[in-house]
Amino acid sequence: MTRWFNKLPIAEQDLPLLISDGIAYTPRTALNEVLRNSAVGIKLQQLLESGRFGTTTYEETSVAKTRLRQILSGKPERPMFATMSGKVFTPSQLLQEIEANSEIGQQWVKSEMETMKRIVAVR
Amino acid sequence: MPALYDTFVIVEPMQHYLEYGSLVLHEIIQANKRAGQTILELIGDTANPERIKTAIQTLNPIVFCGVGHGNVDIYTVECTETLITASSSELTLFKDKVVHLNSCLTAQQLGPALIDAGAVAYVGSKQEFWFYIGDAAGTTRAVRSPFLAEYQFTASLLQGKTTGEARQAQLQRYEEEINYWLQGDGKNHPDASELLRILQINEDISTFLGESDIRPSQKLAVAPTLVLPLTFGASFLILGFLAYKSVAVPYPKS
Repeated sequence: MTRWFNKLPIAEQDLPLLISDGIAYTPRTALNEVLRNSAVGIKLQQLLESGRFGTTTYEETSVAKTRLRQILSGKPERPMFATMSGKVFTPSQLLQEIEANSEIGQQWVKSEMETMKRIVAVR
Repeated sequence: MPALYDTFVIVEPMQHYLEYGSLVLHEIIQANKRAGQTILELIGDTANPERIKTAIQTLNPIVFCGVGHGNVDIYTVECTETLITASSSELTLFKDKVVHLNSCLTAQQLGPALIDAGAVAYVGSKQEFWFYIGDAAGTTRAVRSPFLAEYQFTASLLQGKTTGEARQAQLQRYEEEINYWLQGDGKNHPDASELLRILQINEDISTFLGESDIRPSQKLAVAPTLVLPLTFGASFLILGFLAYKSVAVPYPKS
């Protein structure tokens, strides 16, 4: 778990990722539980080793949106993203699309779930 | 007449943020072009519908690669002028050609329409293609990364790969760029999180249609020879000035 944690980008270390008994754990809080050798730490370690988050599909979507809120809400308000259909977004405008569950928002939520899989799979 | 092997027409508009893609595509063309290939880059103002159609008709390239804003049934070029729509009779311009459109949503209708009209292969996006504009165009890995992955398809065709091999190389490059922001040197860039997600979206929506065994260029470099058909030679001379001028168009300083 420590080796996995140290390989993660710093920005990913404090985003919610693993779920146990309805509680979301970031890589950092999960690592702390593992280092304390707590019961939940053992569960989280097992989740990580099996490449799972411990979520239902609904929880997965919810965690993905929470992660995107955390990533985008702290960014400076300037145009940062564009598409090849001529659209330009600031971080807050993109977040609005995600909250509204628009087609664009769904693209990002789907990508976030893919990111979560990649993060868990880092070795 | 069948499309001419070793012949490429590349469209690189520069307005409406398209310079973010066009600068990278130009760089990739310069890095991968080989002796014996005829490559016409239409840059900025020259990336207009009239010039592009003339180039296609005159050079009859085996590969057409274009940057431009798009939608499900339309591909536009400089100043968002329409080049082609899914219902246009001019779709036959792309008969026998490999078409790579770096443009949103065209895989929904325009790509299939191109294949129906006789294009041998098509690569494009079925939803929004994303890129990062947090830095000036062409200046950083962050702004270049989405395009480095996307244009690996055309880069590989220039290198002599088949359409199927080029597609595999493109997907592999997507994974390399994703890993750069996830575990590589870029992982702690302030906007690495967003770049990782952008690349995943673009890879996920990337679509390949058509034949996978088309090899538009020779595997090994071949010097220009005198056996080129006279009609092609004459066409090349006519367009020579155009090609020279297009490549020579300076990019705006960023």
